[in-house]
Amino acid sequence: MPKLTLMFEEKTVKEVSLGARPVGIGRSPDNDLTVDNLAVSNYHARVYVDSGKMVVEDLKSLNGTFVNEMRVERATLKHGDSIHIGKHHIKVDATGEAPVSYGSGRQTATPKINETMVLDTKMRREMLQQAAALGERTQLAAGRLRVPTLVVLGGKTDRKEYTLTSKLTVIGKSHLATVRLSGWFKPKMAAQINKHDDGYYLGAGDKVPSVNGSPIQGPVQLKDGDQVEVCGVRLNFIFRE
Amino acid sequence: MRIVSGGQSDVGQQRTNNEDCFRIVQPLNLFVISDGMGGEAHGEIASAMAVETVVKTCMGEETGTAAASAETQPGWSDQTGRLFNAAHLANKKIYESSQANLQQQGMGATLAAAWINEEKLSIVHVGDSRVYLLRSGVLQQLTSDHSLVAEQVRRGILTAAEAEHSELQSVLLRALGTQPEVEVDAEEHALFPADILLLCTDGLTRMVAEQKIAGTLQSESDPSKAAEKLVGLANENGGADNVTVVVVHMEPKESGFLSWLRHGAQKNAGKNGSA
Repeated sequence: MPKLTLMFEEKTVKEVSLGARPVGIGRSPDNDLTVDNLAVSNYHARVYVDSGKMVVEDLKSLNGTFVNEMRVERATLKHGDSIHIGKHHIKVDATGEAPVSYGSGRQTATPKINETMVLDTKMRREMLQQAAALGERTQLAAGRLRVPTLVVLGGKTDRKEYTLTSKLTVIGKSHLATVRLSGWFKPKMAAQINKHDDGYYLGAGDKVPSVNGSPIQGPVQLKDGDQVEVCGVRLNFIFRE
Repeated sequence: MRIVSGGQSDVGQQRTNNEDCFRIVQPLNLFVISDGMGGEAHGEIASAMAVETVVKTCMGEETGTAAASAETQPGWSDQTGRLFNAAHLANKKIYESSQANLQQQGMGATLAAAWINEEKLSIVHVGDSRVYLLRSGVLQQLTSDHSLVAEQVRRGILTAAEAEHSELQSVLLRALGTQPEVEVDAEEHALFPADILLLCTDGLTRMVAEQKIAGTLQSESDPSKAAEKLVGLANENGGADNVTVVVVHMEPKESGFLSWLRHGAQKNAGKNGSA
């Protein structure tokens, strides 16, 4: 039978075998593995066998269940995996004999809308109205229409100013680029600016651009007034009112 | 640009039937995926109808007037207009079928379709199937999900992390075939050499983190293998839903001299030059 060992740092706290019955993990003392830590929910997660596979399922815990550092809702476990819950971890030892399937596992899981459904117009309106009431403040804060703009401060480009209207903006020599660079040895796509729900993100192309003097380490969100430099071209990112 | 693609669809680890559907129409560079819903086998009917109608309309085999809301916007390419119309037509077909067959009532489908003509990309979508672009290592979602949680994130009610764990992830605001008319999102983008497009159903994005998706797309040079790996990852992580993945690579055309050096005579002798 597979074994689950609850550990705190290098210390073994408790060991249980996984049989046909699921192993409950949480702060409440009626769990098979009780984890005494405030960061752990009363009924935090459980491990059971489904169609011959060992599965860990997070029970909508506040701080999450992690398998090998990745947060999971439900994941298949294999020998040697480590489940992290709060500051504790649980070692998975699957070398024992394969257990019997815990067939009813899925049915008894917390109720969840698993089947895709579409809201009809009325439901949609109601749900969005509810949502709108909550979201009103954030909407108002963004009140005035602000147009993202790149102003050229220096370097060779085809225009002096660009309004970012598209979701994807490319800076480069290509005829498809929004901000077109001219001059020898300029890359076709030097850098990119992509629109996300929460703003505009500068990312690398064939070159790594700098923001306010420091080279970016990955996509970074541009703030009003940021100075972008790539391939000898300097651009000022601003929101025009 | 040379366009190379591959796709895969899988039932997943927990469902018994696959309601996803996809088609790659190579001569057109048209890529279509759909995720069906509705009890029994009706989700499958809906997604198959969605894909079929879009493909046929784009190929010019199916002509029909869609709903009044299918008015294309000035400035769009013919291709975008046709794709947009195709999505409306698919909505109409699925809706009419579900009205005519009692047991099909309530069936519907998502749609994500991409059509590439030279360096121009047209995309349309309805629902929570997605189109991503991987450009210079940056993965960008081109579509915005028509789901309740995505809308709540856009309105600042939920954070993206909260949305990932919401129980209402499967609640859609729009789908094909559930209403007589539907709002279709359409857009156009320019494609660059070495860009990678990904079309996928929620069975992938709910199981595999975007970072992992980007890494897999970058490390696998064969699009069919990349699709296979992504489906594998979704299944390894639980495979809670059907999963469908289409990967499209924009391969830079070699410059004249290099191309002549590498392929030279065979190319000119054998091929008929069709795309």
